[in-house]
Amino acid sequence: MQLTYLEAIRQGIWEEMDRDPSVFCLGEDIGIYGGAFKVTDGFIDRFGPERVIDTPIAESAIVGAAFGASLTGMRPVAEFQFMDFIGCAFNQISNMVAKTHYLWGAPAPLVLRGPSGGYVHGGPFHSQNPEMWFVHNPGLKVICPATPYDAKGLIKAAIRDNNPCIFFEHKYLYRRIKGEVPAEDYVVPIGKANIVREGSDLSIITYAAMVHTALEAAEVLKKDGIDPEILDLRTVSPLDRDAIARTVRKTNKVIILHEHSRTGGLAGEIAAIINEEAFDDLDGPIVRIAGLDSAIPFSPPQEERYLPKVGDVVREARRLEAY
Amino acid sequence: MAIKKTKSGAKHSANGNRRHNLASRSKPKPADLRTYSIPDTRLEHPDLTVRQAIEKDKDGTEHVHYEVTGNLNASVPPIRDSKYLDKQQCIEIYRYMLLNRKMEVALENLYKQGKVVGGVYFGLGQEACSCASAYALDKDDWFAPMIRNQGSLLVRGFRASDTMMQYMAKADSPTHGRDGTSHFGDIEKRNMVSPISMLGDLIPVLSGVALGARLQGRNIAVMTYIGDGGQSTGVTYEGINFAAVQNLGLVLFVESNEWAYSTPSEMQYRCKDLAERAIGYGIPSVIVDGTDACQVNDAARDAVERAHRGEGPTLIEAKMMRMKGHAIHDAAAYVPKPMFDFWKKRDPIARFENYLVKEKKWLTAKENADLISEVERVIEAEREIAVNSPMPTPESAEGGVFCEDGCHEIKPKYGMPKVKKATGGFRQTEAAVHLK
Repeated sequence: MQLTYLEAIRQGIWEEMDRDPSVFCLGEDIGIYGGAFKVTDGFIDRFGPERVIDTPIAESAIVGAAFGASLTGMRPVAEFQFMDFIGCAFNQISNMVAKTHYLWGAPAPLVLRGPSGGYVHGGPFHSQNPEMWFVHNPGLKVICPATPYDAKGLIKAAIRDNNPCIFFEHKYLYRRIKGEVPAEDYVVPIGKANIVREGSDLSIITYAAMVHTALEAAEVLKKDGIDPEILDLRTVSPLDRDAIARTVRKTNKVIILHEHSRTGGLAGEIAAIINEEAFDDLDGPIVRIAGLDSAIPFSPPQEERYLPKVGDVVREARRLEAY
Repeated sequence: MAIKKTKSGAKHSANGNRRHNLASRSKPKPADLRTYSIPDTRLEHPDLTVRQAIEKDKDGTEHVHYEVTGNLNASVPPIRDSKYLDKQQCIEIYRYMLLNRKMEVALENLYKQGKVVGGVYFGLGQEACSCASAYALDKDDWFAPMIRNQGSLLVRGFRASDTMMQYMAKADSPTHGRDGTSHFGDIEKRNMVSPISMLGDLIPVLSGVALGARLQGRNIAVMTYIGDGGQSTGVTYEGINFAAVQNLGLVLFVESNEWAYSTPSEMQYRCKDLAERAIGYGIPSVIVDGTDACQVNDAARDAVERAHRGEGPTLIEAKMMRMKGHAIHDAAAYVPKPMFDFWKKRDPIARFENYLVKEKKWLTAKENADLISEVERVIEAEREIAVNSPMPTPESAEGGVFCEDGCHEIKPKYGMPKVKKATGGFRQTEAAVHLK
């Protein structure tokens, strides 16, 4: 069945609620309205207001309540209207939820999900990619799917996982990307990267919307005779160190591509992993392509300047290939 | 539940106020519409006020300090007879209060002997609050203490050695050395959520516990505490409001103990009593004397029973004073001495002892002395256990970040939630969205 990225997530949560009575949803405007992006459209009619709960505009309360319910053996799925607002619940996530299993041995099987990412002119408070705030928090799993197949398989895996999972849905992909999704039940394992394009000349390590940017760039590069491999991380914490090392050993050249700001970004961490795992295999400098070190601006020409583009990847790949 | 609320709005009355409002609708009396009253079971109403004052020393240098005004010589009121507690229960609470205090004395000594890692936090003067509140909970109810509620842990079945080992960062402590103080929990037997150092975050968490239980078909009470300092945080508002709109069985114990570290309550909030906050949330509240175990227990029991009936949250404000500094390093020199003298006369244990031995004659002097020595023996044995526990190995810092490899089996604690029968299959949606 061909599904959009959004429908794949929606179907994944729906199926899990159908399968497991301990799964329930809470968040702002997710009930009768169906959520700002309609991910939970129709859920309140099917599952009832007990399991599809509209909350006050209170992100700390949403996360706190989800965590509390998880301690009684429930599996809450909490929606952030935009992931930018997850900052309002940062203490609850970082100090309460993430540390709980390590400190006092209580599992917290909850999912915090919502739309993130740019390319839709949402402005500085509706376009951010705040995943790195949580990558630096041991105890959280951070998931950023790029395709409908992965989005559905990973949301189901996140709901079934016994740990707190933060699930970043790229809002640019919601209705732009369609893909084949099997009708039968499946999960995509958390923490496993996926090679979305085999290649031999250089590796582009990326995730979420940037996977599609890399694929477009690969089409251009193919005409130059450059054959890039593209590794979709799918999960940014924990990172698939083996898959990162494998692709570097194969192609010997690496571009790391992400949408969020460069400084303190994921590329730095991946570069360090390559340094530790595959230093001797490198035939060129590790190249970073990332967002600017600023807030993400509103006006389309400014947003375009901020965000990585196909042209950036093509240019950097050509430069690296010449090494 | 939003939906249920519309069906049974009368049940959700706040202090009786909302009901009063609705009743007034047919015959408007504008002057009465927003007249709220808050039950107050205290037998005295201390009128002490703290403010900053400037004093010049003999060199003319100015010093800012706190000074207290009010009737500092008021006589100590009697204990109010409990609506619920019988003789045995009163004695049991008294024993827990003794355990609480003697455990803290032992901790102070362990600190002086250099056996404690970090500081020690005391609940001196607040033992009635911790012990008599937790005593009102039933077995299936949940709670989460704050740093000073070490007595609540004893009531809920933890041992004094658990808390002592936490302070000494021992391998056998409930967190195996990973955290100290009352920062531990137990979701299996004692239904306790571990506190964190940031204040207020437990309130939505406990509300969520009640939400989880309700989805499993049970109305439980979830008790947690906040101070006059901690209630200033934004998450306190979020948590109480969430419990209020969802009508969850939160029992929020606001311990107004006059001082938040070194800041007096006058600089923490402007309203007269924190119980007034409940009016804004649309939930009932009550004010109790936090040094009177009977008042504390009765208010807590009323709130717990409301929670069990599914009638929603209650805010209880207990008034007393923190009788030591913020932690052991803090001599609390900023507290005006007459305030210490005033509250020392209201020591919750001395008051309860007097009530049991002299007023009620439920304990003879000999029985009381025997009880005190028994508690001292227990604490000494617990101290021995704690001291003899080894320190954790360095390697034990690793692992356990995630719940993996079958370390926990997760299933609904109170039974599988009932689910709605399917009325339609999955249909794709093409509705308008916020950003394209």
